[in-house]
Amino acid sequence: MSNNQPIRDPFLELIEAYALGALEREERASLETHLATGCSECRKVLEEARWLVSQLAYLAPEAQPSEMLRGRLLKTVREDTVKDQAVPVPERPAIPLWMWGAVAAAVLFAFYNFYQARSLRQMIRQTQAALDDQVELQKKSAQELALARREAFILTDPRSITIAMPARSSDLPTLQATWHAGLGIVVSGQNLPLPAGNRTLQLWLIPKAAGAKPIPSQALRPDADGKFHLLVEDPPDTQGDTKALAITEEPAGGSQAPTTTPIWVGAVTGK
Amino acid sequence: MFLAVFTPSESSGAPHDAALVRRLLQRDVNAFEELYDRHSRVVYGLVLRILQQTSTAEEVVQDIFLQLWRNAAQYDASRGPFLPWLLTLSRNRALDHLRLKSERQRRRENQAEQMPAVAAVPDFEARLDAKRRALRVRELIGGLQQQQRRAIELAYFEGLSHSEIAAKLQEPLGTVKSWIRNGLLKLKEGLQTPA
Repeated sequence: MSNNQPIRDPFLELIEAYALGALEREERASLETHLATGCSECRKVLEEARWLVSQLAYLAPEAQPSEMLRGRLLKTVREDTVKDQAVPVPERPAIPLWMWGAVAAAVLFAFYNFYQARSLRQMIRQTQAALDDQVELQKKSAQELALARREAFILTDPRSITIAMPARSSDLPTLQATWHAGLGIVVSGQNLPLPAGNRTLQLWLIPKAAGAKPIPSQALRPDADGKFHLLVEDPPDTQGDTKALAITEEPAGGSQAPTTTPIWVGAVTGK
Repeated sequence: MFLAVFTPSESSGAPHDAALVRRLLQRDVNAFEELYDRHSRVVYGLVLRILQQTSTAEEVVQDIFLQLWRNAAQYDASRGPFLPWLLTLSRNRALDHLRLKSERQRRRENQAEQMPAVAAVPDFEARLDAKRRALRVRELIGGLQQQQRRAIELAYFEGLSHSEIAAKLQEPLGTVKSWIRNGLLKLKEGLQTPA
């Protein structure tokens, strides 16, 4: 044999026997594994081998089956055809009137429920808002009450000192300040002119220390009736270190250092 | 060359078979009747040869044709001619029936295919009518030595494996393998060559 001959696929030798069904289990499994790899040559040979094996049927002599078999078969296939035709097309079951009524009622009930739920949600939102307002109002009232009590205490406590704050100009009323060492300062007055524009009045604490600058405190505009009522809960300095209180007119929001000459000044003196 | 040797002398009928099978899909009883009349003799002959009992053979033939009627879509005309497919289906059904009573049942069950896979369409399939091809097959196999022919028949009609045939014929396994392979190759070669 020449060494130049192409190597033949060993599985090709098995293919005719495989098509015939004569291979042993192991050989068959081995060939099927090989075919599963997609070997195109073996597949082509297998297709031809299958056709070839089918031709072995001609080794059997033809024989005429009985007429009864033919009759039975034709009867069966005709019955199949009749059954096919007789298979009723399932009609759509009619929906009874009461069911339409039930559907309509269910739809209406669903709408009603939806409307009720929406109304209820709206009521809850409104009630919640009203409740929030009430709570806020109550808080504010409580704060105002606390401030009023605090003011009342400052104004009535004998330990407080009273500071008269006359105006620089004689046509302006005198303001009165009351300072409680622990609760703060209350400054009040009436018939005050409104500062121009949105300017405001600001309280200053003038320290005793020589050369010390005025310490800024709260700012407040008198109301439309000219009433002025200022509560300073936490003064920036103590009575002992403060020489005087002064009020100037300042831009809205107040200033860190006075920008105008004080309109009202009152000396802080002990009792 | 393997193909294109025979000159067609008659129509093989294969295209007609395919058209009849298509009509089965429309539940055409006449098409079924025509297919049955065309092929029932060769199918019954094959099944009877395998089962050796007329009543059982008729039962199996009835099953085969009812399967064809009820599942005609299982035949795919693009994969090969109808008659080899029908013959392969018939052989498988008959051998299945035989195996029900046989110890060989277990061995063959894994191998049996639900539907035959006769896909090849050698040119000579279309160039020689079934009747002439049947004669040629018988002539070619009949020309083999007796034991070689017997080995092929045991494999085809009884579904025996190489080793089972070797045991039955009391011949070496290698010899049986060679007989079968060479016999089939000779058949193939003979079908390509004008008689």
